[in-house]
Amino acid sequence: MTLHDLYLLSPELSLASLGMVVIILDMVLRRKGVLAAVSVVGLLAPLAFSISLWGDLSGEPDGQMVGIFNTLVVDKFSLFFKFLVMGIVALVVMSSVEYVSRLRQFQGEYYGLMLFSASGMMLLAATTDLISTYVALELTTLPLVALAAFLRDSRSTEAGIKFLLLSAMSSAVLLYGMTLTYGFTGTTQLVEIFERLGASLDATVPFGSHALFLGVIMIVAGFGFKIAAVPFQMWVPDVYEGAPTPITAYLSVASKAAGFAIILRVFYIGFGEISLDWAALFAVLSAVSMTVGNLVAIAQKNIKRMLAYSTIAHAGFLMVGVASIAARVPVGETTLGPSGVLFYLVAYAVTNLAAFFAIIAISNRTGSDMISSFAGMGRRAPFLAIILAFAIVSLLGIPPTAGFMGKLYMFSAAMKSDLAWLVVVGVVNSAISAYYYLKVIRVMYMVDPEGEEKIHVAYAPQAALYITALGILALGIFPGPLMTVAEKAVAVLFR
Amino acid sequence: MLPLDIAFWVMAAVGVATALAVVMEKDIFRAALFLVVSFLVVAGIFVLLNAEFLAMVQVLVYVGAISILIIFAIMLTRNAHEGNPFNSFQLPALVLSTMMLAAIAFVAVNTEWHDWDQLGLQVLPGDSGEVFSATEQGIKNVFGNTTQVIARLLMRDFVLPMEAASVVLLAAVIGALALVRENEGEA
Amino acid sequence: MSLIHFQVLSAALFSIGVYGVLARRSAVMVLLALELMLNAVNVNLIAFAAYGEQVQATGQVIAIFVITVAAAEVGLAMAIILRLFRDRASVDVDEVDLMKW
Repeated sequence: MTLHDLYLLSPELSLASLGMVVIILDMVLRRKGVLAAVSVVGLLAPLAFSISLWGDLSGEPDGQMVGIFNTLVVDKFSLFFKFLVMGIVALVVMSSVEYVSRLRQFQGEYYGLMLFSASGMMLLAATTDLISTYVALELTTLPLVALAAFLRDSRSTEAGIKFLLLSAMSSAVLLYGMTLTYGFTGTTQLVEIFERLGASLDATVPFGSHALFLGVIMIVAGFGFKIAAVPFQMWVPDVYEGAPTPITAYLSVASKAAGFAIILRVFYIGFGEISLDWAALFAVLSAVSMTVGNLVAIAQKNIKRMLAYSTIAHAGFLMVGVASIAARVPVGETTLGPSGVLFYLVAYAVTNLAAFFAIIAISNRTGSDMISSFAGMGRRAPFLAIILAFAIVSLLGIPPTAGFMGKLYMFSAAMKSDLAWLVVVGVVNSAISAYYYLKVIRVMYMVDPEGEEKIHVAYAPQAALYITALGILALGIFPGPLMTVAEKAVAVLFR
Repeated sequence: MLPLDIAFWVMAAVGVATALAVVMEKDIFRAALFLVVSFLVVAGIFVLLNAEFLAMVQVLVYVGAISILIIFAIMLTRNAHEGNPFNSFQLPALVLSTMMLAAIAFVAVNTEWHDWDQLGLQVLPGDSGEVFSATEQGIKNVFGNTTQVIARLLMRDFVLPMEAASVVLLAAVIGALALVRENEGEA
Repeated sequence: MSLIHFQVLSAALFSIGVYGVLARRSAVMVLLALELMLNAVNVNLIAFAAYGEQVQATGQVIAIFVITVAAAEVGLAMAIILRLFRDRASVDVDEVDLMKW
């Protein structure tokens, strides 16, 4: 390991160190309010390192810097996700301030675990071998498990144990899949897997070999759990409902982004040779996830559960992009799939965070997560209600919002890749989702409030709300710049 | 039959039997003890496969640490284990796990693992199960130099996951502490 | 005895583990079954390592990581299970309803 290797790893290292600093500060400081500030300001260190790395990339001929014995890669793809994860962490920390002040102890651990998990996500997007991928995945998940159980009441504990057991099971399945891949190719490096697969595939068998057939399905199952795709979604509703709401918000966007980062990298780079086979698999999962998520969401009365099913449906929309592979696109054209996924992830992040932040602020006062408790919020909390309504419009995919542009990119990518049937499923599902999304807006504006007391929001969460709402609007009107960056980021996947 | 083959078959039989006992046993304490036996048998399998360092790790970590932790937790929550130990998913679970067994066995038999030959990797002569098996080859090398090889791999090629694993352990410890410690002022 | 023998053994352990995870009620039991699954993964890995690349031994290193992470998982799981027991004097995942929609 050289100094340069450490530099390549510096964003993750500084983020994990920040987590430890926050935990240590918690022990010495009396005023706990400082911890959130330290967490947000401290993010400037990994941010600075990431920006510096991005700058250095322009000097590299193939657009990437590989380090630490080929287990880590710094390219625009991994940096894109680093920026995204840091942004999400900053916003979630800001929105947690009020919520966390109710915890009498372990506030430092709350922020610290969140930062550890974020360092795992950043690492996940940057690993190029399956072992590091597995360890980074666990680094992402285990702190989140502890955070899900952090409230120490019975629902939160239930969420924790459920999350832990099901995620451990999915990890075991993922590992078995990785093992079969390792057994078949004799290596864990994605690039080497790609090279060796090219030499040893049998065209008469789906996925080129029986071992890969089973191995890839198991890997998809393992990753499918992290992104909450049907049929690996059984943990989602209970964990989302029981976990502290800021953690739910974090889980729904950051964990999903990291999951898609590693899916794109593993499948596009490692299994590029058999892309037609796994793309079909993702297309089917996508259709099933959209449909199941939206249909079950209709029946929900708890808004966190409703958003849990909505997140399953959005995992389905995102998988449309994964399925829109280059091999299905007519020669001479490029696929919008992966860059569309990146755009959609950012759009979904700002949208879902805005929705969750408004919900946190409202239910902090009403003490209830039921949709019925949002009655009359249009009058009691006009600012929060309008942002929540705007976020919902974006989740639904109506212009001029980020969500609309995201879906547009997804569906046009699918059209290019000859997946018209998937577009039809997607559009029908968007229509179905209008039913339960609009119900929330109706309750907020058309139903009389239970009380007249106004709801006030502290400064930090308010700032987070403004930033996310602005993000929804900006991405909805000017999607161009982000799309350009996303296209640059995914260039490393097509070599 | 060679002594090594007999060792394999005995261990495989005991391993599968104890594993079955773990999932079928009604008394959770006895299930945990069966699991310990299963761990030990797997350690034996590791020795057969020329992975004596891993066998030691298996004994130390699984048999020594994880089992103790689990048994400790079972003792603490002892009176919580009553009633029917199975849930209502018994039949689907049986079907699914049988299908999984069939699928993996099918894959193991039908995949041409010999592909490594063409890839220029070193394949042991026993791979096709003819002249002498890898196990025999392995036994000759028992207590050879795998420990050094593993150490080099861990501290060099796979130093990144090793560092990440240390953060995983730290995060798990912090999370576990934050969860089990009682709040001040709480009973 | 060949690679296939070890693979089938691993498959058997893994499937038994899957059955245990899906069919048992107690969180502790599910955890025991999970350990079986992880052990099966390790048997598979080491079999591949033994029959493939004697020199590289990558499979053995992966197994070490699997064991490490499993230990972390068990530690955290025990903390949550104790919490669960304190809250409701039961560790049945069933009330927890693992598969609820």
